Amino acid sequence: MLRLLSLFLPTVIPSWRFFKTVAPSPRIEYRLIEGESIGDWQEDRPRPTHLGLGQVLRRMLWNPDWNEQLYLVSCSERLIEAPSQHSVDEINLRVARTLPEGAQMLQFRLVFLSREGARLVKLVEYESTQVALASLQAVAA
Amino acid sequence: MSALVFLQSSLTAGEAMGWMQLLLSFAIGQQSLEHLVRGDRMIFVPRLMLCGAMGLGIGGAWPVWGLWVISLAMLRRYQGPYNGGSDKMTMLILSCLSLAHLAPTPFWQEMALSYLAVQLVLSYFVSGWVKVVNPEWRCGEALCDVFRFSAYPVSEALRSLAERPRFLFVMGWAVILFELVFPLALLDPVALKLALLCAAGFHFSNACFFGLNRFFWIWLCAYPALIWFQDRIF
Repeated sequence: MLRLLSLFLPTVIPSWRFFKTVAPSPRIEYRLIEGESIGDWQEDRPRPTHLGLGQVLRRMLWNPDWNEQLYLVSCSERLIEAPSQHSVDEINLRVARTLPEGAQMLQFRLVFLSREGARLVKLVEYESTQVALASLQAVAA
Repeated sequence: MSALVFLQSSLTAGEAMGWMQLLLSFAIGQQSLEHLVRGDRMIFVPRLMLCGAMGLGIGGAWPVWGLWVISLAMLRRYQGPYNGGSDKMTMLILSCLSLAHLAPTPFWQEMALSYLAVQLVLSYFVSGWVKVVNPEWRCGEALCDVFRFSAYPVSEALRSLAERPRFLFVMGWAVILFELVFPLALLDPVALKLALLCAAGFHFSNACFFGLNRFFWIWLCAYPALIWFQDRIF
């Protein structure tokens, strides 16, 4: 009950501090592991190179993929600020849902991008334990 | 002529609540359909049905109260807002509308709507304030960073805007100044409508650049409360 209250109160007494600072920005990367064979890290849902005007306007009404991606950004930030199994599970499930069915193990990591002077730096801040992809996909189905 | 009449028009508390519920039924319905393709039917099928009832004016205040309970369940399900500020605004509007329906007297109903109106003004003013006190925003570097490496630009092509610092400096200051002077629009009904049109344009551009479509629709839902509030207070 106390937890629910702590989630509810910021919605009715919001801080409205949008973009107060531009904090290091998370990206989710994953890899598939099968026995001794370890795949390369790949970015989860890389953004498109270009979006046409029609696609942009259509997304005003229908944008579930991008909104899920923004939710994963929130989960990534929460995982660093206040680690919880909920955030790990949400990221695992939603990454697994985008992958073809397989018998491999799934692992993800959180890479945070920031600017130091004029150059961009990447810092790996979290690496998950491996989970069977098939079990995640069974839950996600 | 009709545009001038619209700009000078106002709303009663009841009309403001009616407009907000109509707009909310669309905005929450749109969010719910997006969620439904991801699962969680136990939450979003009832949510969609309540939106339909609220939009059609069926059930009085019950759909509003039902949507409030479901929003609480969503906070628990996602351990916080699913979509940051837009979910917070959804919950805030539903809380104020729920209280307005529960209010024993018109005074308390007006208090609930006033709270929402004040929060809407603060949503712009505080956003402007936290930026103007930050040197990185004042020199334009913060907006360059948003495009350079934040998670928000919807395409890689948009990142090239980070290489146009003068353009972003002007845009950043335009946003900061607009957000800071927004409360002054309360002094005149025509100025308020024009400010709300500008604000809607700002949310529209955020939706185009950063994919924040839910912010656009949900902020519009709160505007009738502010139109009523301006007429009531000033």
